[in-house]
Amino acid sequence: MKRMGFKEALFILPAIIIIAVFSLWPILKVINYSVFDYQLNDQQKSKLSLDEKFNVDLFKENADYVMMFIDMNRFSFPEDVQGKVDEVLNNVNDFKELLADQSGFIELGGELKGQVRTHYSKLIEDVDFFINNYDFPDRENLILIMEDTKKCFVQSNFIGFEGYRNALKDERVHDALGHTVIFTIVSVALELVLGLGLAIIMNKAMKGQGIVRAVSLIPWAIPTTVAALMWSYLYDGSNGIIANILQNLHIISDSRNLLLSGGGAMTSAILADVWKTTPYMALLILAGFQTIPGAVYESAKVDGSGVFNTFFKITLPLLKPSILVALLMRTLDAFRVFDLIYVLTGGGPGGSTETMSIYAYKTMFQQTNFGYGSVVVLLMVVCVAIIATFYIKILGANVMERD
Amino acid sequence: MDKKSNNFKTMVLIFIALYLVVIIFPFIWVFLTSFKPTQEIFGEGAFRIISQNPTLENYANVLKNGIFRSMWNSFVVASITSVYVVMVATLAAYAITRFKFRGKNLLLGIILAVSMFPQMIIVGPIYNLFMNLNLTNSYFVVLPYSTITLPVAVFILVTHFNKIPIALEEAATIDGATSMQILSKIVFRLAAPGIFTTAIIVFIAAWNEFLLTVTLNTNKAYHTVPVAISFLRTQFTILWGEVTAATVIVTIPTLIIVLLFQKQIVSGLTSGAVKE
Repeated sequence: MKRMGFKEALFILPAIIIIAVFSLWPILKVINYSVFDYQLNDQQKSKLSLDEKFNVDLFKENADYVMMFIDMNRFSFPEDVQGKVDEVLNNVNDFKELLADQSGFIELGGELKGQVRTHYSKLIEDVDFFINNYDFPDRENLILIMEDTKKCFVQSNFIGFEGYRNALKDERVHDALGHTVIFTIVSVALELVLGLGLAIIMNKAMKGQGIVRAVSLIPWAIPTTVAALMWSYLYDGSNGIIANILQNLHIISDSRNLLLSGGGAMTSAILADVWKTTPYMALLILAGFQTIPGAVYESAKVDGSGVFNTFFKITLPLLKPSILVALLMRTLDAFRVFDLIYVLTGGGPGGSTETMSIYAYKTMFQQTNFGYGSVVVLLMVVCVAIIATFYIKILGANVMERD
Repeated sequence: MDKKSNNFKTMVLIFIALYLVVIIFPFIWVFLTSFKPTQEIFGEGAFRIISQNPTLENYANVLKNGIFRSMWNSFVVASITSVYVVMVATLAAYAITRFKFRGKNLLLGIILAVSMFPQMIIVGPIYNLFMNLNLTNSYFVVLPYSTITLPVAVFILVTHFNKIPIALEEAATIDGATSMQILSKIVFRLAAPGIFTTAIIVFIAAWNEFLLTVTLNTNKAYHTVPVAISFLRTQFTILWGEVTAATVIVTIPTLIIVLLFQKQIVSGLTSGAVKE
């Protein structure tokens, strides 16, 4: 094999750049988001800021009103605090001068931070003194202005691991994880058993393999949202044929319960997934079957091995590698399920089919809480890593073919 | 003995037939419904198989709603994605199978990990990036599509390149061919079926992509088929006639691809042993 020189490196460069920009960078970014209280629709939290910020424009606007209200009401205050009135006015003037060249949000750091803090706390203290001790015409207005002025300080929205702590305590995360695990285990188990059975039958069928293969590919190939929409029609409480059949067979008591009860909705989602993916599973296992040479069966027969014995002692062990890889990929896909449930139930009814993906999506794009949504996504990543490790290390799935 | 094996064959046939019915039934039912007028879809007539007054009204309504626009969008994004992802993946897979370099296993590990990550992880940062660069509501959505397609493409192509004996290239080198000639005249030609297979798998994956488009392209003019379809549900919660007609229309391209390229698809699915 040739060693890689500069010219050869150009071959992998595009792939590395694309993966770095569109896969790795976002992952680092999500980790970054997750330690901030980062909410797009909240002006105070819509940026990731490690340092405290100060809203200069807001301050300048309010400062003039503060001076005006204090100055105009000067004669409502007794003689002995007139000096204090001037103090407030001077303080605000100095404060304004300090920030004269600034505008917008500024990061408070170093010397400026101390000065702003000093002026600010003195201002609050003095004005509160007047508000608390005296009654004057513009008292109510001054209170409102001071409330607004207190918003000038924008705290850093760095929260460290607090998001993670909240997520671990969050009932909705627990529920979402539970739904995801149930969906994954039940649908993958059904798909494996049915897929294996189908593969055995397909392997025996001599005629019509082309048709069977083509038909099997269709559910896999159509967009998941299309499949979900189709099934939501078939499951529909009053007009859905499947709901109607199930009711007539007395499997469910009322056809409307199918999508409107928690258990019914989860079952419906699992069945739709099984319909869409079992044929795909069967095709993968069938391909595994076809790599087993016929001679293996011949010799098993000669040695007097029965049908069951042959299946469990010879076929299954030989199939194990291809089944494991297919299972791993299916498990991960089921764990990440989004499109199907988003369209079929939207996570409902009452959050009973809300999976981790759905919850993360809702947090990020409906509540625009990117910080917490990122935490939920990262919890998913941890689960995915556990699943992958389990399959690869414990069951010995060989995902990477050695070259 | 003969009788027994005949029975067995019949059983197999019955099972296969049953299986085909289960798979196809939803399509048939949706197809039949799409020709029913609204009053037959609801109420008593809902479970009648053949419509009494078949109509094309549902199709007319769906076409008015711009279903062809979303099919065109899907076609554009899927085509662009297939072309650039397959080009990038071909080069990478060739380098991985032919050259020795440090960090090869790390690269393969990263590609594998990316294929396993939940796609949800990239959506937030990509959304912000696209907002800042003003790229939302455009075909630039094909760039992040690489996360779901590039790893698969690389794995399928690595498997294919591994099957092409290196000896051929070595012989060509001895005969005085330049490395460019070797690439274009030998390697890519021999790998063409594998490259084509990869392109089809990538095309289907990109055609079906939902999450990125629904978040990045909120403008209806840039909706792809999966997104447009998902909006039918909220828009017409009960207009099943249009829903079924739209389903029939958007399933046709997939049907054609599957029927034409089923062998390539199956080989792609099994050779990389990786989904989609």
